[in-house]
Amino acid sequence: MSGGSIKGDIRAALANENLRGALGRFADDYLESRRVAYGHKNFSALQDEIAAIKSRAAGRLEELAGRFAIEAANRGAKVFWAETAGQARDYILNLARERGVKTIVKSKSMASEEIHLNKYLTEAGLEVVETDLGEWIIQLCGQRPSHMVLPAIHMTRGEVAGIFSRETGEELPPVISRLVQVARENLRQKFLQAGLGITGANIAVAETGTLVMVSNEGNVRLTTTLPPLHVAIVGLEKLVERFSDTAPILEALPRSATSQQLTSYVTMLTGPAPAVDAFGQPVQKEMHIILLDNGRTAMRGDPEFKEALQCIRCASCLNVCPVFQLVGGHVFGHVYTGGIGAILTAFFNGMENAGGIQSLCLGCGRCKEFCPAKIDLPRLINSLRTRLARQSGLPLPQRLFLKNVLTSRPLFHGLLRAAKAGQKPFVREGMVRHLPFFLAGLADVSNLPALAEEPLRDWFRSYTGGETAKHKSKRGSSPESGQESKPGSKEEGTTKNNAAEKTGDNLEGSAVFKTEIRAAKETKGKPEAGADGRAKAEAAGKAASKAEVKPEVKAGTGAGGKARPLAGLFAGCLTDFIYPEIGVSMVKVLESMGFAVVFPQGQTCCGYPARQLGAPEVMTEVARQNLAAFEAAGADYILTPCPTCTHALKDIYPEVTGDDPALQARAAAMAARVYDFAEFVYNGIKDGTTQMPGLKPLDRKVTYHDSCHLKRSLGITREPRELLKTAGADLVEMPFSDRCCGFGGSYSLKYPELSALILDQKLACIRETGAGLVAVECPGCLMQLRKGLAERGEKAVEARFLAEILADQL
Amino acid sequence: MAAPNLRAEQAPGKPGALYDIFKTKAGLVSARVDRAADNTGAALKIKEIVLKAGAKKVAAAPSPLVDSLLPGGFGAAGSDPVLYRRDLRRHAPDAEVGISAFDLAIAETGTLVQDATDLDSRLVSTLPPVHVALVPTDRIVPTLRDALELYGGNPDGLPPYLAFISGPSRTADIERVLTIGVHGPAELYIIFIDGPGGEEA
Repeated sequence: MSGGSIKGDIRAALANENLRGALGRFADDYLESRRVAYGHKNFSALQDEIAAIKSRAAGRLEELAGRFAIEAANRGAKVFWAETAGQARDYILNLARERGVKTIVKSKSMASEEIHLNKYLTEAGLEVVETDLGEWIIQLCGQRPSHMVLPAIHMTRGEVAGIFSRETGEELPPVISRLVQVARENLRQKFLQAGLGITGANIAVAETGTLVMVSNEGNVRLTTTLPPLHVAIVGLEKLVERFSDTAPILEALPRSATSQQLTSYVTMLTGPAPAVDAFGQPVQKEMHIILLDNGRTAMRGDPEFKEALQCIRCASCLNVCPVFQLVGGHVFGHVYTGGIGAILTAFFNGMENAGGIQSLCLGCGRCKEFCPAKIDLPRLINSLRTRLARQSGLPLPQRLFLKNVLTSRPLFHGLLRAAKAGQKPFVREGMVRHLPFFLAGLADVSNLPALAEEPLRDWFRSYTGGETAKHKSKRGSSPESGQESKPGSKEEGTTKNNAAEKTGDNLEGSAVFKTEIRAAKETKGKPEAGADGRAKAEAAGKAASKAEVKPEVKAGTGAGGKARPLAGLFAGCLTDFIYPEIGVSMVKVLESMGFAVVFPQGQTCCGYPARQLGAPEVMTEVARQNLAAFEAAGADYILTPCPTCTHALKDIYPEVTGDDPALQARAAAMAARVYDFAEFVYNGIKDGTTQMPGLKPLDRKVTYHDSCHLKRSLGITREPRELLKTAGADLVEMPFSDRCCGFGGSYSLKYPELSALILDQKLACIRETGAGLVAVECPGCLMQLRKGLAERGEKAVEARFLAEILADQL
Repeated sequence: MAAPNLRAEQAPGKPGALYDIFKTKAGLVSARVDRAADNTGAALKIKEIVLKAGAKKVAAAPSPLVDSLLPGGFGAAGSDPVLYRRDLRRHAPDAEVGISAFDLAIAETGTLVQDATDLDSRLVSTLPPVHVALVPTDRIVPTLRDALELYGGNPDGLPPYLAFISGPSRTADIERVLTIGVHGPAELYIIFIDGPGGEEA
């Protein structure tokens, strides 16, 4: 249905109360019913088993297809390899014509949707009837499925009654049992008349030539039993090697798809079974199996995307996706829906159809946790994003910003300071999210917190250790009022950029950049303009670097000169420039535990946003700079308050430095010393390697929000909770504590309506606990929650960073 | 094609315990499970179901078990209900009750397993609104994996049409409201038979 712009589609979907109601209730119920369905099954063992089976099969598609073809042919089936959608369609049409077929009954098959089979056969004059109830509804009203398992989840009984009334010429009440009965009676006639039954398959076993199909309604059984001719369309990714491989897939598929221990029917076809015609005369049943490539061998040949062939189409990635649950598959999908739909669409239905879908992914990573085939969907979407960015190019301001500014720390920070001083070279009414996005021209939202008066890096310049008590946060630690001054306001406009002058975060760079964008815009399509601009920016960057203040301010020794273990603070942009008080609180806590803290001034953005925008090479460059900064500082540990930064330093740097083995070795060495703050503090206390002085009891009801990256990229859930308890908090769990807050970096700027609704759900969960304080361990989440609370005038709840809460109790 | 033999070590030591699990699990998916001591008991239960359904036409897929249970149909020739055992492509579509025998039952999921290569066995279990399934009590295996192992152990002997049935036909395609009885039967009765071929716990 995505006829218009994706933004328009989103608005329409959000206005559809039924869609949102149905999807929302489903998403809420799904977790619990799925949990019950799995019971004592060991999900992670099943995941391992399925991933192993499917990844092995994906590596040997042709071999397994060949073996399958031989086995199925030995048992009397005809097997056809269709390289393209067109070949599959033609094969079916020719067969139908040769056999004089007039009516075709179909059971649900995503592969047939993928090749747009119905349209093709209908235009050729055949009657094609979908027999799955949901698919029939969709077919009668000329739509496409909005969910891979529940195709008509977006429709009400009233709408269905209207559709069925038109079809039957009978006025039907909106009573579901009656509507189901009407479908049974109408479709029964079609089953009995049909000359051809078309199905898909959930599994194809090479060893035995067996097709496995799961269904609940019984239409697969009728489709494969009544017509004398059967065509099964089987995507190559359905192949597994052995019959025994079906077991784990059949254990997981129904549980993950519909929270059933097993579907009502599982049908295993190994060659054609006997048939009789409508008069009871025995006829030879014909079985044709189309092995459909249509992009699958290309996917297999693509090391980055091969993993997607492990998908068993359970759609659990849709069911747990906070975005899908708001907009459904007509917006978030093409033929295949949701996150996995973006990947499948790119390969099966063309890259050009995948761009909008992938952009809807928030990157929360929840799907990965639930995938029975262990597909790292967030990684796949990121790879797709990178590829699309390479193919079609990033928008010019983003490209210039990433390549020319983000790679030059002085220039980048100079621009931030410029923005702070109200000079705002690139933003309209904008403010920040992940700070780089702000400068990349993505920022378009007002009412966001302002940049801090004194960035953390400046505070550190006058810091000599043991002085945190003196620090007063310039903005206090209360939740943002939402009325904070913005860059360019009168008050801030008067604040001269002293710090920038001091640090050499040269403002000239911004002028260069500004001119460059203008120049590049004017000479659009001329690559030399960009190259020229690059040279200018580099020159500006070098000028800025010269003025860099050195040496580092290091707090490695205490008053007595006795060496204390040295903790290096990697702040990340948000903490550095918006929430310096988080960094200060960290220092306070770390000092109380006997650490000295160093802030290497050469540190810059972790680069994650660049990778998220599709420019991983920019991340490699900033990785190089951050590595140099921290190597020079010689810290024993590197701590960050930001899970995204931690994930970047720990997991992604070793990845994006892969082309340079020496750099990669350094990245790996650093990665081994990187910790999330809460993890570091908690484990130190637990292991007895460090101690924290006794805390004043907080004695307050507190709830904790799991940041997506902290939980899913770093696996940290327990440590922050335990620390809160150590601080005497009365910890109350909120429902769905690990559901995204809707921040997602640039996402909240790209899709503010979606972000706001996801935030609403999160705030509702927080309210439900009755806690007056929500603790977070991610500056992005902190910003999102504070913004939400402020905008909604919520006075009874405040959002605070874990380190701040601890520091206050010292 | 014959059902695979349950090897001694795989045969459940306590059919009674497995029966209890099966009954619970099948009940959760809306099947009605009953147990008869022998063929006579089973035949009585079938008649009760047929009467309750008010059936005029009953279609039974021929099998040794079904044939031995209902040798003479339900009563006097020509009177209701009439039992059809032949020409089922013609009779099953308007029969009210279908009867067939199953090869295995899976306790873990309340599932019945059948070599459904014989077309009649599929017609009687898909077309009539009520389906009565018969299965010897000693043929309950604990898990789906056990059942798959039995068939997978002899890949060349896999039947062309192997059917797994768990409860009646169902859908949740309209507003996610569970509705029983779409294309297949709305009622599934499962009768376990202990007697000849069956085993008491």
